[in-house]
Amino acid sequence: MKKQIEKILIESTVRTLEDLCFIYQEPELKDAQENLPLEAAAEVKYRNDDFTGKLLIESRGGLFLAIATNMLSNDNPSDEQKKDALGEIANIICGNVVPSLAGGGREYKIESPRSFKKDELLKGKKQEKPLSEITLNFNQGRADIKFFVDGYSDTKEKKG
Amino acid sequence: MALNTLVVDDSSVMRSIVIKTLKLSGLPLGDIWEASNGEEGLRILQDKWIDLALVDIHMPVMDGEEMLTRLRENDQYENLPVIVVSSESAPGKIEKMLKLGATFIHKPFTPEILKEVIVAITGVSNEETD
Repeated sequence: MKKQIEKILIESTVRTLEDLCFIYQEPELKDAQENLPLEAAAEVKYRNDDFTGKLLIESRGGLFLAIATNMLSNDNPSDEQKKDALGEIANIICGNVVPSLAGGGREYKIESPRSFKKDELLKGKKQEKPLSEITLNFNQGRADIKFFVDGYSDTKEKKG
Repeated sequence: MALNTLVVDDSSVMRSIVIKTLKLSGLPLGDIWEASNGEEGLRILQDKWIDLALVDIHMPVMDGEEMLTRLRENDQYENLPVIVVSSESAPGKIEKMLKLGATFIHKPFTPEILKEVIVAITGVSNEETD
């Protein structure tokens, strides 16, 4: 499941940023992008009969501004607009990933996205371990996406 | 034929995206109206001539399913082309919207996909597009 989710996470993120923001993936994380500070994050919670969890997207390297600027065709989006734009991206990616969790045909619910200031995220309670975690480099910044399934553990995954 | 279009989504960002994508598609567009929920959308439909509606599913006050249900109960709108634009993938939900006569586009989408669907359901001819 972990590998499948990772694949869909990558595909969904790349496609969403490309189609809606005209932000394009670059093949490798450049050295300068390895240690970029966190700008902002957005979280979307989901649930279905079998699973609950969330998707968290963190933006770095100017991606937070770029997403809003490109989505809204506005060079100076407000903080609120930037948060809404990142939240919408999280919402769409999550909507593409969750259906693959328990096989097709299952109903699920995704809650409204929630945005975080970087300070709020950094001093938050200890983060649980995500089922899947990816880092993608784009021409306008970097995205780190973590997909959580409540109660997930490596042990359960290995037992299959 | 310029399409007077209604965009219904509780996210102002998403409404901007849909409108931007419509404009990039090269379709002949008339007036574009926005609503943040189904109830607002229905009010606009009462007041304005609308040729095409793009509607999200999950909205507060009145969601897309209820809006579309009420729309189809009115003879005046039984054939109004409606596109549901959503990240929803649950087959049950999608089927309900399709049974209400909507066409479904999954987010994310490109101007090309949007144009293809709109040409198919509105009858706007390819000669009228860019």
